[in-house]
Amino acid sequence: MFFSGACALSLGIGALFASVGLWPILPAAGLEMILLGWALHASLARRHQAEILTITDCDVCVESRDRSRSCQVLFQRHWAQVKLLCPASRLHPSRLTIESHGRRCEVGGFLTEEERRGLALRLRRLIGRVNESPPLTVGR
Amino acid sequence: MDQPYESTAHADHEHKPHGWRRWVFATNHKDIGTMYLIFAGVMFFLGGAAAMAIRAQLFKSGMELFDPGMYNSLVTMHALLMIFGAVMPAWVGLANWMIPMQIGAPDMALPRLNNLSFWILPFAGTLLLSSFFVPGGAPAGGWTMYPPLMEQFGASFPMVVFAIHLLGISSILGAINVVVTILNLRAPGMTLLRMPLFVWAWLITAYLLIAVMPVLAGAVTMLLTDHFFGTSFFNAAGGGSPVMFMHIFWFFGHPEVYILILPAFGVISEIIPTFSRKPLFGYEAMVYATASIAFLSFIVWGHHMFTVGMPVAAQLFFMLSTMLIAVPTGVKVFNWAATMWRGSLSFEPPMLFAVAFLFLFTIGGFSGLMLALVPSDYQYHGTYFVVAHFHYVLVPGAVFAIIGAIYYWLPKWSGRMYDMRLAKWHFWLSVISVNVLFFPQHFLGLAGMPRRISDYAPQFTDWNMVSSIGGFVFGASQLLFPYIIWRCIRSGKPAEARPWEGARGLEWELPSPAPYHSWQTPPSEAVLAHGAEH
Repeated sequence: MFFSGACALSLGIGALFASVGLWPILPAAGLEMILLGWALHASLARRHQAEILTITDCDVCVESRDRSRSCQVLFQRHWAQVKLLCPASRLHPSRLTIESHGRRCEVGGFLTEEERRGLALRLRRLIGRVNESPPLTVGR
Repeated sequence: MDQPYESTAHADHEHKPHGWRRWVFATNHKDIGTMYLIFAGVMFFLGGAAAMAIRAQLFKSGMELFDPGMYNSLVTMHALLMIFGAVMPAWVGLANWMIPMQIGAPDMALPRLNNLSFWILPFAGTLLLSSFFVPGGAPAGGWTMYPPLMEQFGASFPMVVFAIHLLGISSILGAINVVVTILNLRAPGMTLLRMPLFVWAWLITAYLLIAVMPVLAGAVTMLLTDHFFGTSFFNAAGGGSPVMFMHIFWFFGHPEVYILILPAFGVISEIIPTFSRKPLFGYEAMVYATASIAFLSFIVWGHHMFTVGMPVAAQLFFMLSTMLIAVPTGVKVFNWAATMWRGSLSFEPPMLFAVAFLFLFTIGGFSGLMLALVPSDYQYHGTYFVVAHFHYVLVPGAVFAIIGAIYYWLPKWSGRMYDMRLAKWHFWLSVISVNVLFFPQHFLGLAGMPRRISDYAPQFTDWNMVSSIGGFVFGASQLLFPYIIWRCIRSGKPAEARPWEGARGLEWELPSPAPYHSWQTPPSEAVLAHGAEH
C-alpha cells in the first residue's frame, strides 16, 4: 500500500509536470520508484533468507532457505572439511565452505568478516578435519 | 548421540573493524550515523563562516569587504551548504543512529546502500565548495537558482547542478533506506502506532523526500539542457517560461522546508515528555498533525511567488491553504505545551533547547502567517522580513532541535555525560544571540531593506550592526558545541543506560554506550512495554 501510494504520488507529480512540457521530472520519478520497489522487495526477500547448519554424529546438513525455495546439502561428517578461503584482494570478503567428495557448499555469505571467521573456528571445532570426527558435546 | 547441534551464526560478539576500513567500508548504522553528523558539523561551520562574512559585510553601510558578486556567492553558498550540507545530513545521521535502536532493528535495512548514500556527500560537498575556485567564482543566483540569472555563472553553473544532483541522490538513497527499515525491520510488537514520534516524523519526511526530490533533479537537469543543449524549458526566447521554473522549484522547495523541520518535531516530541516526566499529550493527534502538515506542504508552493503575477483565485487558494497549515502546527504546539502542563519539569540542556524551539519556532510560524497573507506579502516580499522569518524557523527551529537531539542522545552514543554547565552556557549564549541576530531583521524588512544586497542605505545601519553583533556572538558560541562533545568523549563521567530519569523508548533499554551491534535479537514484548512505560 505504501509503495502504491508513493508510486501514485511521485508518478502523478511527474505526469502533471510532463503535461505542461516539463517531461524530465517523469523519468527521474520513474527511476526513483524502481529503486524504491527494488529496495522494498530486496528487504522483504532477505527476511526469509536463512542458512541452518545441523551437525550430528554422522552428517553435516546445510539448509539454505529463501522466500520461495529451500535446498539441503548433506555431507558425511567424517570426511567433511571446513575451509576459509582468503580473498585475492584485501577489499574482497573471505569465503567459508564445507567440502567433501568433490562437492562444495558456501556458507555464511551474509555475515561480516569477523562473524565469518568466528563461524569457521566454531565449525572446525565441531566438524574436525578430514578423517576426523571429534566428539560432540551438548552446548553451544 | 544423535542430538543435532545447530550453529547460530550470530553468536554474542562485539567485533568491529578497525582503522580506515571501518569508516570507508562502514555498513554499521552507528558508524554511518557518526560520519553523517561529522560531515554535517563541518558543513555547518563552513556555512557559518560564510554567514559571518555576510554579517561582516553588512555591519555598516559601505563596508565593501567583498565585491557584490562575491557577496552574492557567499549568500548562495551559505544557503546551499546549510540546507543540503548541514541540516539534511544531520537529520539523516540522527535517523541512522536512532531509528534502528528505537524500533528494535539490528541495523538499517540496506547497509551497503547506506554506505553509498553517505560517501556521495563528501564528493558533492567538495564539488560545491570548489566552485569558488573556478573562473567567474561560485554561483551567485541564490539557492533558488532562478533562470536566466543562474545560467550566467560560467564554469561554476554545471558544477553546482551536478553537486545538487549528487546531494539529491544521497538524500533519496537515505530516505529509501529509512522507509524500508521502518516498514520491514520493526521488532515484533512495534506496531506503527507504538513507534516513537521521531521515527514517525522521519517516515513522513522520507515520504516527502521521495516525492519531491525528482522534481528538483528534473528542474536542475532542465536548467542544464537549456544552457548546454539548446532546449527551451525556461527560455522565453524559445517559447519556454522562467516562471515555470519558479513553480517547479517551489513545488520542491516548500516540502523541502518541512523535510528540514518535521524531524525536529519528532525530536521535540521525544525530549519534552522526558523532561516533563509525563507521556506525550495526544500521541495520535501528533502523528496525524505531522501527516497533515506533510500533505498540505504540496499545495502551498504559490505563497513563495505571490508577486510574480498570478490570478487572484490562485492567490486566494495559496493564501488559504498556507494559513491552514497553522491548524496542525497549532495542534503540535498545544500538545507540547499540554505535555509540560503540571509535569515535573527539569531543565537540562536538551530541554532548554526544546523549550527555546517551542517559543522561537512559534515566532517563525507567526511571521509565516503574516507572509501568507497576499496583501501584506506584497510589502514583505524580497525584504529582510522574509530572511528573519525563515531563519527563525530554521535556526532556533531545525538547528536548535538538532543540537537538542545531540545533547539528548550523546550519553547513549558515547556512554559518557557531558559538562552540563558548559552546555547551559552554550544554550544561553545561543538563545540570546540568535534573537539579537534575527529579531532586528524583522524591523529592517518592515522598513524596506531588500534581501540579497551587499550594501544598503545608511538609515538601516543601526539594526544591521545589532544583527551582526548577534551573529558574531552566535557564531562564536557554536564553537563551544564541538568542544563539549570532544570533552564528553574524552573525559566525561560514565553515563547510565537511562541517563534521563523520564526517558521512554527502546533505545534506553540498551546499555550506554550502545553496543556496536544492538538488537541482534529482537526485543521481547516485555522489553517493549518496559521501554514504553518507564
